[in-house]
Amino acid sequence: MSERPVHIAAIGMVTPLGRDADETWRGLIDNRRAIAPLTRFAVPAQQLLPVGEAPDPAGDAGLPRTHRLALAAAGEAMRGAGGPPEAGVVGTTPRGMEASEWLLREGVDDSAAYRWHGLHTVCATVAAAVGCSGPALTVSTACSSGTLAIALALAMLRRGTVRTVLAGGVDSLCRLTYYGFHSLQLVDRQGCRPLDRHRRGMAVAEGAALLLLTTESPDRSLGELRGAGLSCDAYHPAAPHPEGQGALLAMRRALEDAGLAPEAIDYVNLHGTGTPENDAAEAMALRRLFAVPPPLSSIKGALGHGLAAAGAVEAAVAALAVSHGLMPGNTGLQALDEGLGLTPLTAASAAPVKAVLSNSFGFGGNNGALVIAAPGAFPARNATPPPPPLTVSGYACLSGAGDTSATLAALADGGSPAGAVPLERLAIDLPAAQLRRLKRLPRLVLALAGLARREGPAPGAIFAGSGWGGLSETHDFLQRLFQSGEQFPSPTDFVGSVHNGPAGQAAILCQADGPNVTMAGGEASFAEALLAAEHLFHGGERPALLVCADEGHPRFSPLFDPGTLTSRGLCDGGGALLLQRGGSGGLCTLRSLFHGNGGDSGLMRLAARLSATPGPPWSLVLADIPQRRRDQGRLRELLRQAGIDAPLADCRRLCGEFASASAVAAVLAVAAFAGGAIPAGLVAKEPMPFDRTRGRILLLGLGETFSAVEFCAC
Amino acid sequence: MQQLIEELKVKLIDILNLQDVTPESFDEHARLVGGELGIDSIDVLEMVVMVEKDYGIVINNQEVGEKVFASLAALARYIEENSPKARS
Repeated sequence: MSERPVHIAAIGMVTPLGRDADETWRGLIDNRRAIAPLTRFAVPAQQLLPVGEAPDPAGDAGLPRTHRLALAAAGEAMRGAGGPPEAGVVGTTPRGMEASEWLLREGVDDSAAYRWHGLHTVCATVAAAVGCSGPALTVSTACSSGTLAIALALAMLRRGTVRTVLAGGVDSLCRLTYYGFHSLQLVDRQGCRPLDRHRRGMAVAEGAALLLLTTESPDRSLGELRGAGLSCDAYHPAAPHPEGQGALLAMRRALEDAGLAPEAIDYVNLHGTGTPENDAAEAMALRRLFAVPPPLSSIKGALGHGLAAAGAVEAAVAALAVSHGLMPGNTGLQALDEGLGLTPLTAASAAPVKAVLSNSFGFGGNNGALVIAAPGAFPARNATPPPPPLTVSGYACLSGAGDTSATLAALADGGSPAGAVPLERLAIDLPAAQLRRLKRLPRLVLALAGLARREGPAPGAIFAGSGWGGLSETHDFLQRLFQSGEQFPSPTDFVGSVHNGPAGQAAILCQADGPNVTMAGGEASFAEALLAAEHLFHGGERPALLVCADEGHPRFSPLFDPGTLTSRGLCDGGGALLLQRGGSGGLCTLRSLFHGNGGDSGLMRLAARLSATPGPPWSLVLADIPQRRRDQGRLRELLRQAGIDAPLADCRRLCGEFASASAVAAVLAVAAFAGGAIPAGLVAKEPMPFDRTRGRILLLGLGETFSAVEFCAC
Repeated sequence: MQQLIEELKVKLIDILNLQDVTPESFDEHARLVGGELGIDSIDVLEMVVMVEKDYGIVINNQEVGEKVFASLAALARYIEENSPKARS
C-alpha cells in the first residue's frame, strides 16, 4: 500500500529580503543582497558588523520581535486555509531574547516582564492566533531548529497522528547571537560570501518561515515534503566534522527516507554559512554523496544566516524552486574557492526542478536534511506499518536527594527529595577534559546519561527536553558582555548557551550519530521529548536516550519560572530513560496519549481521550501541576470526567517545583515496574502492591498545555 | 619573562578551568592546542579574548594565532614583543 504524500499547501515568510514569500523570492531571483550594518540595537562603533535584518513585523507591540515575526509568517501561511492546523511545530532558540537582554541589563527584577522569555511561548502564541488546539511543540537545536521542526511534523503526518501541521522556524537578532558568533570569529566583516575563496564567515540574521503541511490533497500543492534525514556529528560542540561525516549521514538518510537516489536531485540548497569550516565540510560531504553534484547554491549570501529560521526559510525556497522551475543563485560569491570542488549557480537559473535537497547543520553537530519534490513527480512511498511500542530498558533520575536510589530512599523516609541536585557529591565517571567547560545543565544531562545506561550498547539517538536550557552559560555570557562594556563576550559560554548543548555533549559521550533532538516545551518538555522519540526513533541495536532536565539558577530561575523558588529553595534535576522498539526484557512500555492546549476545552478533550483509551485499570496517577495552577481543582474534575479512580501523587510537591519535575516522576513510574511496587512515600508510607504484568500508570501534565503519558506492562 | 609565564599559567588554568593542572605541573614548552590538555579552537578564542582584555593585543588572524598559541612560552613571547604593558 502506498503512503499519502505530505504536501506543502502554503508558506509564509518574513526575511531580510521581504515581508512575505513573494518579496523574498523576487529578491533571491534578482540576486539581491539584504546584508547591511546593524541598526536594530546600539553597539560600540568598533563592534559594528553586517547583519540581515528583517522588516519590522506588524502586530502587538507588547510581544517580542520573535513572536511577531512568527505571527506574520503564520498569517501568510494560513491565509486561505480552510481551518486551523491540527498541530504546530516551531523551531526557535533562546537567542531571540533581545527583550530579556535589555531587561537584564537594566536590572529589571519583575518576573512578569520576562513572561515571553520561554521558547515555548512562541509556538503557543502562534497556535492561539491560528486557532490550533492540538500539540504546539517547540524544537531547539540551534541552526538546524527549523529543519528539525519540519522533520518532526513530517513524521507526525506520516504516522497519521495529525492531518495538518503548521511547521517552521523563527529567530530574531539579539546581542547573544550577534556578539556570540563574533566572539567565535565566525562573522565576515564584508558580509557573507559562501563558497568564496576569501570567505571569512557568516552574517547573523533573522526571520521566520512557516509551512502549512497536509496529507489531505490541497487545491494547489507547492511541493511534496518527500523525506527528512537527521544525524549528529558527535564530534565537537561548535565545529563541524572536518570531513562532513554528519552532513553526509543526514543527506543519505533524507534520500533514503524519500526513496530517491542521489541522481534524482536537481538542486541542492546548501547550508552554506560562509564560514571556512562549514563550507569545506559540506563540500566534502557533497563530493562523497554525488558522483557529479547537481546545481547548487547557498542563499545565505543574500539573507544572512537566520539561525533557527534558516532551515524553514530554505525549505520554503526549495518549494518555490520546485513550483517555479527556477533555482536561486549563490549571492555574494566573487572568487570561487576552487578547492571545494563545487560549481555553484552564480545567478538564478531556470530549469525543471523535480527534487531539491536542503541542508541545515547546527551547533552540537546537529544536522538535518530535507527532500522536497514536485507534486506527483515520483511514485508514492510505500506505507510503513506502525512501529512496535517504545520499551524502557534503563532509567535514572537526579533530585535534591541525589540519584535514583537516594531519591527513592528520601521518599521512603517520608521526606521529600526536592531540592538542588548535589552534583558535587555524585560520582560522575567522566573524563575531566570533557567536563571542564561544562556548567550545571550539561553536567546534569551527562550524569543522567551515564546513570541510565550502566550496561549494554550506548544510545545511538538522543531526545532531550529542557524547559529553560543552560541558564548558567546564558547568564555568564550576558554578565561578562555587559560588564565589559560589550567588549569581551565569552566564546565558551556562547557555545554552552545553546539549548541543545547538553544533548550535543551527550552525543559526543555516547558517539551517538543518530537523530539528536532537543525540545523546549516549558513544563511540557518531557512530554514533547517523548513525542519526538516516538516519531523519530526507529529502533535498532542501539537504544535511544530520552533525557529531560532543568537547572535551578539563583538569578534566572525566579525571573523566568517564578514558581520555582519555594520554601524549599531552588529545585532542579531531571530524568532519563533508555528506550528500545519492542523486544523482550523491557521494564515497561510508554506512549503519549495526549498533547493539546490547556483550559476548559483542553480538559474536556483530554478527559475524552482518557475515557476512550482501552486498557487495565489505572494503578497510579502522577500529576505534574505547576504551583500557579494547583488550586484550580482541574485535576479532580479531569479524573471525574475521565472516570479514573486511582491513587494520586503530586509530582511537584514530591520532586520539586521545576520544569522537568515530570521527568523525575516518569522515572518513579518506571521504578514501580522495576520493583513490582509503588515506591514508598509516593502515595502511602509503605510500598504499595503493584502488579507489574497488568499495572498501568498515568503521568499527567497540567500546565499551560496539557499532556498525558501512559506507562504499561510490556 | 619568567614572571609573565607564571602569570599566564595561573590565568590559563583559571579561564580554561584546567582542573587537573597546577602552575608547577604546567609545562610552558608543551604543545598547547590539540595536546594533552585537550585545548581546542573554542579555548583558543577564549585566550584571544584574554590577551586582548588583559594585554591590549588583538589577535584575529588564524596564521598568527597558530604561532602565538603553539605553547605557553610562545604566547608569553608574543605578548612581551607586542605589549607596552608587558614590557614595563
